[in-house]
Amino acid sequence: MREKVVENRPYGLMPRNGQASSRPCFDDPREFNKENGVSRLRVRLNRLELANPVLVASGTFGYAREMQAFIRFDRLGGIIPKTITPQPRAGNPTPRTVETASGMLNSIGLDNDGLDAFLSKHLEYLLSLGTSVIANVAGKNRDEFVQMAERLGKVPGIAALELNISCPNVAHGVDFGTNAKLAAEVVAGVRGACDLPVIAKLTPNVTSIVEIAQAAADGGADAVSVINTIQGMAVDWRRRKPVLGAGFGGLSGPAIKPVALRMVFQVARAVRIPIIGVGGIQTVEDVMEFLVAGASAVQIGTANFYNPSGAEHLVGQLDALLEREGVADVNEVIGTLRFPDGTGCLR
Amino acid sequence: MARDTWRMRVECAEMARQIVPGQFFMVRIPGLSDPLLGRPFALYDIYERDGVPAGIDFGYLVVGKMTSRLSQLRVGDRVELWGPLGNGFPVPEARRLMLIAGGIGQTPFLAVAREALGRRHYGSPQRAVPRSLESVSLCYGVRSSAYQAGVDEFRSVPGLELKLATDDGSNGHRGFVTDLLRGAIESDAPPDAVYCCGPEPMMHAAARLCASHSIACWLSLESPMACGFGACFSCVTKVATPDGWDYRRTCVEGPVFRADQLALGEH
Repeated sequence: MREKVVENRPYGLMPRNGQASSRPCFDDPREFNKENGVSRLRVRLNRLELANPVLVASGTFGYAREMQAFIRFDRLGGIIPKTITPQPRAGNPTPRTVETASGMLNSIGLDNDGLDAFLSKHLEYLLSLGTSVIANVAGKNRDEFVQMAERLGKVPGIAALELNISCPNVAHGVDFGTNAKLAAEVVAGVRGACDLPVIAKLTPNVTSIVEIAQAAADGGADAVSVINTIQGMAVDWRRRKPVLGAGFGGLSGPAIKPVALRMVFQVARAVRIPIIGVGGIQTVEDVMEFLVAGASAVQIGTANFYNPSGAEHLVGQLDALLEREGVADVNEVIGTLRFPDGTGCLR
Repeated sequence: MARDTWRMRVECAEMARQIVPGQFFMVRIPGLSDPLLGRPFALYDIYERDGVPAGIDFGYLVVGKMTSRLSQLRVGDRVELWGPLGNGFPVPEARRLMLIAGGIGQTPFLAVAREALGRRHYGSPQRAVPRSLESVSLCYGVRSSAYQAGVDEFRSVPGLELKLATDDGSNGHRGFVTDLLRGAIESDAPPDAVYCCGPEPMMHAAARLCASHSIACWLSLESPMACGFGACFSCVTKVATPDGWDYRRTCVEGPVFRADQLALGEH
């Protein structure tokens, strides 16, 4: 594969004014998210611009209210609340989570109160937090995705939509994420239904995630989130039963980080679409690994459960690390990994 | 404290000032990714230094990876904890309060008894204790006497009546702790409020007994949880609603529920 020219940045990954910042951030956090466009942490994923690359993953941050005792929201690059479905869903039977080696399995089953309740109960609060809010939605079919996009697209203030085409814990929910044609259709449908930037959240439970990422790009996605959880199972051998009430669950946490990194790089090497890296990120070193492997932003997931202020700290740590490394702009490190065969990211 | 049963004392004055009996903390060992998640631990009691709260005692039974690691910690080691979380037991508005503990489910009741009997105050601002209480008794059941933890401490609370039960009859009543509850309900001075914590079958049996005698009953539920503060939606339990039931998060809406709020028959 021919090595691509790094300066060729088709997705506008340059900071807004192209100037690096020497301003020390974080003395005054309120200063940090100002629309001054000079932060070294500002990233752009096509039409979605973020104050910094640290997001919190859907399903690990509730509707943000749950986290308010622990974290300063306005330090984050963005918040992705729990998946919204058109109608309320009770979710799966218990037990819904079980810890496994350096990770956890969950089968929550998209327990949520539905789109109407999201709009009336949660959205105003979310939009008051001083950070980008990316609404994560799941539908049973293309029409449900499109209808939700139409409604959310009319609400001022939402930064983007993330399409959950990858939840392993609901019947029929995963088809869009494992079938390239369906993935492209649902993304295209949502693109046509609203003006919001569209992110497709991809499942790792496929033969070729590159193929699905390409389909999402073809459908007009602004970015892809790589990866959702890896399907797994825990067994209670004495009772001859799975531990989880639903049987199977999605594996997350540090255990899956190598898989996520591999998939982020595979997509970055093959598809010209900005990537949001997700999977087992705990430390600023983890963040850097994902950025270098081709992610323009990252999502902190399971770590929110056991380190609920950690995502905020990562923002400061990332800024300090870049300063120490003499990197004036985080975009300089995104996608800079070189593989042993000489290939690299399409940036 | 007893077989496989440990006390962990954590110095955390600010948290100790805030917690009320029945609330819990999430505890984990810093720097480890296995075990990864925190585990919920109920307040056993706060401890004081110079008359002010200085920290928190937790009691736990070694059942798995985390509790096994915790039992190997030494004095001076650090743990991470966040809380206090959830809603504790209400301040009793009863004349005769009965506490029903099964196994390690006894942990909240030392503090509940001390508060109810006016021996110690909890919360910030401190919760007031009504003067209506005539008696507080604790029925504490375990498999066998080797697992009876903290009995001397319960005995040291002036005014607390302690009744023991063991499955094997090695100490106290031979049989279920709910037998003691039934005996009390059928006596001349039945309880008018019951707080339960322990295995689910025991709590369900206690709740049914109370319901059939119109006695107010509260249960402290334990449910696998990843975060403790409502973000993960793991720890749901079925709560009765006008049209059946709905899942509610044990960590933020409980862990203490009125038994008649719960859809106990739904499985």
